[in-house]
Amino acid sequence: MANSGDPVIRVSELKKCYGDIKAVDGISFEVARGEVFGMLGPNGAGKTTTIEVLEGLRGPDSGTVEVFGLDVCKHPGSIKQRIGVQLQSVSLYPRLTVTELLDLFGSFFKNRVPTKDLIDAVDLGERAKAYSMNLSGGQQQRLSIALALVNDPDLVFLDEPTTGLDPQARRSLWDLVKGLQAKGKSVMLTTHYMEEAAELCDRVAIMDHGHILEMGSVPELIGRRFKERAVYFDTLAKLPADRLGKLGGVTRAAVEDGQTVLYSKDVPDTIGGLLAMAEELGAEPQNLGIRQATLEDVFLDLTGRALRD
Amino acid sequence: MKTLLGLTVANLKGLTRDRAALFWTFLFPIMFVFLFGVLFSGSGDSKVTVGIVDQDGTATSAQVRAAFAQVPLLVLQDGTLDAETAAMKNGDISAVIVIPSGLEATVGSSKAGQKVSKAIELYTDPAQTQTQQVIQNVVSQVAGSFNLGLSGGSSVMTVEQKTLSSTNVSTVTYIVPSILAMALMQLGVFAAVPLVQQREKGILKRMGATPLQRWKLVGSNILLRLIVAVVDTVLILGVGMAVFNVQIVGNLALAAGFVFLGAGAFLSIGFMLASFLKTEEQASGVVQVVQMPLMFLSGIFFSFTFMPGFLQSIARFLPLTYLGDGLRQTMVNAPQVAPLALDAAVLAGWMVVCLAISARSFRWE
Repeated sequence: MANSGDPVIRVSELKKCYGDIKAVDGISFEVARGEVFGMLGPNGAGKTTTIEVLEGLRGPDSGTVEVFGLDVCKHPGSIKQRIGVQLQSVSLYPRLTVTELLDLFGSFFKNRVPTKDLIDAVDLGERAKAYSMNLSGGQQQRLSIALALVNDPDLVFLDEPTTGLDPQARRSLWDLVKGLQAKGKSVMLTTHYMEEAAELCDRVAIMDHGHILEMGSVPELIGRRFKERAVYFDTLAKLPADRLGKLGGVTRAAVEDGQTVLYSKDVPDTIGGLLAMAEELGAEPQNLGIRQATLEDVFLDLTGRALRD
Repeated sequence: MKTLLGLTVANLKGLTRDRAALFWTFLFPIMFVFLFGVLFSGSGDSKVTVGIVDQDGTATSAQVRAAFAQVPLLVLQDGTLDAETAAMKNGDISAVIVIPSGLEATVGSSKAGQKVSKAIELYTDPAQTQTQQVIQNVVSQVAGSFNLGLSGGSSVMTVEQKTLSSTNVSTVTYIVPSILAMALMQLGVFAAVPLVQQREKGILKRMGATPLQRWKLVGSNILLRLIVAVVDTVLILGVGMAVFNVQIVGNLALAAGFVFLGAGAFLSIGFMLASFLKTEEQASGVVQVVQMPLMFLSGIFFSFTFMPGFLQSIARFLPLTYLGDGLRQTMVNAPQVAPLALDAAVLAGWMVVCLAISARSFRWE
């Protein structure tokens, strides 16, 4: 039996191809018990393929993949009894009610949480008798999380749990995930929202083109690349980029989404220089601000492009 | 076992809560029964062709023949006993009246005061209830008035009822097992659509992430369709018997066997289609393309023999031909297109081949 200190997930040199496309190209990582681990990356990065190999839905081409210390290829049955799965954009039997679906899925497992408790946990009490096809997007997503919890799993996989949800529904899902962590469950989730990863995950792996580019806690990832803080303002044509890059304290200048970002080791010096230059050129920078570097900056730095959905 | 039943119940709920599916599965075949029932039950108004065999060849027998010829309902067709019974078996005529030899002699003896009688033989098909009743009435009336005119009421000429099964496409009785065959074909072939839908929506994949064994997923689908097959059978036969007076006279155990064998064969075809179709729209279209020719080339609504030769050879490969034949033989004693064993073998063959193809090609996502 696995020791409680052992990781719940251990992946080593996992590779998976679809024809000529290397969806996952030799990745390795571990997820500790009780940890919320996030995979961050754009569409097509290989996040879903990785998670589906872990769920036993597809076999790896090579590499070792263990869940609870068991090989996913050799023990899919006993692993499936103990994991909870929420797949990306799955609709369910359209004409079954919330209660009926939870009862049905519960019947597949040895270990089973009472349906009423699940409905309460995801706050679907008022919709318990509604057909799944009549639920809103957020309610469907909460239902699919409840379905992932029918067996009181030790490890929960959430594949883009908040994609397509409005900000309020997203917040309520975040609370659900935090609740899982508070109960000591291990969670592995994928997302392409930076703030989601920053909000929920103990550790994050940044994936692109089938590779893990960087892995660690969010502060670690930022600190590893950015000793600087960022000075930002709405981009002005009057301020030439080459001169901005030479301002005091600036290590690097970037433009993203109409904002100029100056990464600076000496913020007062940079702002002083910026304002002097603006006055000289007769310009006034709008929405001027200072912030820490974010995961977004890390991703931009790693891949040369912004992460957007 | 509990999981299997639970899944089947879930599928059944999905079906009964979907009005379109309910219509196509249960109401549509019943509408067919009514449609054909009304179309073909009007035979009392139209003419009935009857074979007449004069074995006596005398003035008296000619008189009897003339009496039948005067009945506006009947169209007479003269011939030998062999020729006429053969024609009736083919469904070309509805009954055969045989005027026995020795009729004139018997009438003579009766006139001389002896108590003698001679029987006209009347061949009818009990499966064609309405026609049978009409002809029986006509013949006994003709015999009655003949006796009356002859000797004031003594029954010299009697009627002996004989039965003979005929292939007559224009009868409700013949059509009901055919409609049942059609319903079984549709429930099997149409099963491809929800399967493709469940795959397209990712439901099959989601199930794959639970410990549920796949055979239970397949099993629940089979179980669901068999339940539908039983309900359809009861509904179609029930309406046929209650409203259109269809007599089920065959071997019920064998008939039940053919219901399940047929449902199984067409369900396998449905599984095979689901293996190759990707989207729900595709599936709905292809299912129609498959079922239409099956329906019209399989001789379930038109007798096989009316088809041109090349269509007949196509029909000889189609499983619905054999299901229709098996059901008609076992339910209403219809004459065979093929021996029952061959019917069963062809259906079983289709089932095995399609299941094997499905097992190889079916994709869960």
